[in-house]
Amino acid sequence: MLFALVAAACASLAFGAVHIPLGEVLDTLFGRQVPETSKQIIEVLRLPRTVEAIVVGAALGVAGACLQGALNNPLASPDVIGVTGGAGFGAMLVILLSPASVALLPLSALAFGLLAALLVFLIGFTGRGGGNITRIILAGIAIAALFSAATAGLMSVYPDRVPNAVFFLVGGLTSTGWDNLETIWPYFAVGFVLAAFMIRPLDRLMLGDDVAASVGSRPRLIRLTAALAAAILASAAAAIAGLLAFLGLLIPHLVRLLGGTNNHSYVMPVSALAGAALLTAADTLARTIASPVEMPVGPFLVLLGVPLFLWLLRKAV
Amino acid sequence: MAFGRGKVELDDRAPLLEADRVEVRIGKERILESASLTLNKGELVAVVGPNGAGKSTFARAFCGLRRPQGGAVRWMGADLTELHGRRLADVRAYVPQRAQVPTGVTVRDAVNIGRSTHLKPLQGLSAGDRDAVADSIARARMEGFEERDLSTLSGGEMQRVQIAIALAQGAPVLVADEPTAQLDLGATAAISKMLRELVGEGMGVVLIVHDLALAAAIADQVVVMSSGRTIATGTPEAVLTSQLISDVWGVEAELVQREGRSALHVEWLDRH
Repeated sequence: MLFALVAAACASLAFGAVHIPLGEVLDTLFGRQVPETSKQIIEVLRLPRTVEAIVVGAALGVAGACLQGALNNPLASPDVIGVTGGAGFGAMLVILLSPASVALLPLSALAFGLLAALLVFLIGFTGRGGGNITRIILAGIAIAALFSAATAGLMSVYPDRVPNAVFFLVGGLTSTGWDNLETIWPYFAVGFVLAAFMIRPLDRLMLGDDVAASVGSRPRLIRLTAALAAAILASAAAAIAGLLAFLGLLIPHLVRLLGGTNNHSYVMPVSALAGAALLTAADTLARTIASPVEMPVGPFLVLLGVPLFLWLLRKAV
Repeated sequence: MAFGRGKVELDDRAPLLEADRVEVRIGKERILESASLTLNKGELVAVVGPNGAGKSTFARAFCGLRRPQGGAVRWMGADLTELHGRRLADVRAYVPQRAQVPTGVTVRDAVNIGRSTHLKPLQGLSAGDRDAVADSIARARMEGFEERDLSTLSGGEMQRVQIAIALAQGAPVLVADEPTAQLDLGATAAISKMLRELVGEGMGVVLIVHDLALAAAIADQVVVMSSGRTIATGTPEAVLTSQLISDVWGVEAELVQREGRSALHVEWLDRH
């Protein structure tokens, strides 16, 4: 998997509107002498984008693994805790109401993604039966519906501006340099660290709440913390790359089918690698296939991921 | 043993468990009114009673899985309310009635999870921990099954894995809620022998069970529950009289014990 990631990253740096030989790519990375134009293209355009693809892919893979473990539900993805709906609404707010301040888009998507998740947690984890999986998922569906409706409402009020939003809605990376990552990276960092500390608690939860309690854990607290880590990672990912939540659903399954084990000490890190590799590869395709026109990465992700997934699924049954 | 870590002192000479008039309410309804039990080292206490008498609720309450609203619980002299997380896991292991059986988890993975109480966050298993896991698997008679996926095990094998997970915690007390409820005769006998062996090694075992003949054969002490109360405690011979069985279960029956064998002679149909 690490090899797949390195290969995808090299391809991502080498291919584009201008092809740069792999030798020059490596020379640039290791600070050796290369032609100035190649150096410029790699350092200013491609490297930030490749890093974005890696970080976003890893974040969505880990977010999916966290949620599927926390909710003990193979269908869990960042959709079910409202993040996708919230982040979509946050982005639409900027794109449709105030297109001039498009620089605010990542922050708005992040803020509303987290807001939606917090609302879901507030409803899902309080009151009688709080922390119950069905309750959390139902709360998630309700909040997601609310934000989707608000987004649809906005779109029908400003139909002429909707085309600008397509790129975000289907999910796509852009070559905007390091700016976005510079603002959002702390969220990724917090999310990844939280997720790392959830590896063992999620393993305990796999054997049921009672076994987790027997070994001294608090099942509700594990659920909340793991879901929070997922919400932070998925919101941060949406802020940079739009709505790619499908990756969060797909990757952990892919990783489990590949490895034949459900242990989170395997699923979590390998989901990070696999998510990064798949998104980087898909983004390279999206940039080059109709070059110089760049396509949004979302559909390519599905194009690459679904056949792979179906093939593994056939083998597993 | 590594007792005395942290703030709460555990007393090696105190009874392993003292539960005194424990009370549990859901909303305004009292589902456990007053339940008491004492467990000593090297002792097997069976909690018996009809369905709905509150046996499982009592066990969950004194194990710290649900908060009691009244009464007191002490583990080795330390109050339950002061024992949290790892400290609680150090004094008792709880084997639930119905196990959740995930796929993609081997027997060894599962028992490793029981041992994880001995690790700091992000810390891996040491060689000593691996030995402890192997030892727990051996004591639960699951050698040779280490790499098997949990979803491929029979009911009896899964129950033994549950016990191995609990043993890996290294706690002096094992609390098992109906471990033989869904097992056939052979598997029930195997689990019973294993629990007796653990008691022989000096552990304390609390067994929630509804099979009176089994309870009589393997328990040192029997606690009878009815309608949320513990109504009798003592040796099986002293407690499980025909009169008590008639009062609590409403059935005419006689417990017969001879040479380590036990049977419940039940008057199934009214012949008179």
